[in-house]
Amino acid sequence: MGRKLKFNIFRYNPQDPDSVPHTDTFQLEETESMTLFIALTQIREEQDPSLQFDFCCRAGICGACAMIINGRPNLACKTLTDDLPAEITLMPLPIFKLIGDLSVDTGTWFREMNENVESWVHTSKTFDLEAEEERMDNSLAEEIYELERCVECGCCVAACGTANMREDFVGAVAMNRIARFMMDPRDQRTGSEYFEVIGTDEGIFGCMGLLGCEDVCPKQLPLQDQLGILRLKMGWSAIKHLFRIK
Amino acid sequence: MTIDITMYVRAPSRISAYLDWLQMLTGAGLILFMWSHMIMVSSVILGPGVMNALAEFLEEYYMAQVGGPIVAFIFLLHFVLAARKVPFRAEQQSTVWKLSRQLRHTDTWLWMIQAFTAMIILIMGSAHMWTVLSDFPITAAKSAARVQGGFWLVFYLILLPMVELHVGIGFYRIAVKWGFIRRKGRKGFKRFENILTAIFIVIGLVTLARFWFLALPK
Ligand code: HEM
Ligand code: SF4
Ligand code: SF4
Ligand code: FES
Repeated sequence: MGRKLKFNIFRYNPQDPDSVPHTDTFQLEETESMTLFIALTQIREEQDPSLQFDFCCRAGICGACAMIINGRPNLACKTLTDDLPAEITLMPLPIFKLIGDLSVDTGTWFREMNENVESWVHTSKTFDLEAEEERMDNSLAEEIYELERCVECGCCVAACGTANMREDFVGAVAMNRIARFMMDPRDQRTGSEYFEVIGTDEGIFGCMGLLGCEDVCPKQLPLQDQLGILRLKMGWSAIKHLFRIK
Repeated sequence: MTIDITMYVRAPSRISAYLDWLQMLTGAGLILFMWSHMIMVSSVILGPGVMNALAEFLEEYYMAQVGGPIVAFIFLLHFVLAARKVPFRAEQQSTVWKLSRQLRHTDTWLWMIQAFTAMIILIMGSAHMWTVLSDFPITAAKSAARVQGGFWLVFYLILLPMVELHVGIGFYRIAVKWGFIRRKGRKGFKRFENILTAIFIVIGLVTLARFWFLALPK
């Protein structure tokens, strides 16, 4: 057992004026059930302590370890080397700010995105600490939870042709956020308030339906379905406005 | 560094939505037209008499004379609307090109094909429409003479697959973009769409062959 794995890893430290973007090659013997997390840690411990990459949960939950693996964005911690050829090329996610090597700052982008789409329950009700929580239909709660599973890894954004070309495009993850709040009966925003947030060329009407997002999302979120539903809903809302239908 | 202050507030506008509707509707209209166009032209396979009768009928009621320019207008409108999405800046072009090669993702490639075929169709489609619409009446003999001249045969052999690819991909794209086809149905619909495209290309080729071998009146 034990294939010889060859890693081509993108290296660049934007903090260091002498650093130029280049590729470093590392060799490693494959071990059983090796994930990219294990492989990268081993490389850092045994071969190059300066190698930068992000990990946190190591279980596909935190979304910190997304990178471009042989051309496709995915979570490194849940990618088994066994599923890859012996030559593995790793690049940082595009679009997000590069911290160094494979490490990018998704946090700032996601914070801004969440602020832009106002990703919280809008309600005029004052919160009563003492009162029993309002009940929600179980099937609805499950539907909302399905969209809540997003780990904000950024894979869908990195795989999106539109987002790569246009910095102002909000990305599938933002539409998914909005779709989640539109489902939530506690959010009192009206159709036209949602429209203002997402009914633009930076939002749903900028999406070209390439479905890169759908096909790479490591949590298999139903992005295609949500984008379709949203486009139709926002489209009708505009038509109704045109004919002044309430 | 990101700037976290918004300096202006955009007035709410529904223009993006209307333009997207129009882009989809003009695309869908052109698909319907291309399908009927193929049925009408391929009627020559049954015999030049059938095609002539059809053309005569359409011209007698001025459907061709009025319909032609309407289609040309929709064609132009669709181009203007869809071109908003085509990357014209070199930097954007190299970005999508790199992304498509890296991602090895069929649907992203399909979009590249759509944008590329669009440019060819814009030029060749216009030339084709001009030739046909400025030379009424439409008859099988005139079309056959054009094809047998050689130039138009090559012209159509290029235009045919371009249009069918663009129409096929466009049909698929409308279905997924507007949520008519959901995750469950996507694979099946794509296969259906590929078969449909292949069928239309074959009918088109048979039609061209029929024109090529049609005996011209001396
Ligand atoms: C035979 C004529 C044509 C037909 C039947 C046709 C059909 C379609 C359809 C159905 C779509 C999908 C629309 C959507 O996604 O909303 C589409 C998209 C597109 N069309 Fe055409 N089209 C034709 C000619 C052209 C021409 C001349 C251009 C010239 C630039 C063009 C450029 C595009 C582009 C760039 C898209 C992609 C837009 C997007 O994904 O949002 N098409 N076309
Ligand atoms: S939608 Fe999927 S790919 Fe996108 S950020 Fe969330 S988990 Fe990641
Ligand atoms: S469907 Fe395509 S264009 Fe739309 S968000 Fe997903 S990857 Fe981007
Ligand atoms: S380390 Fe948390 S998702 Fe990979």
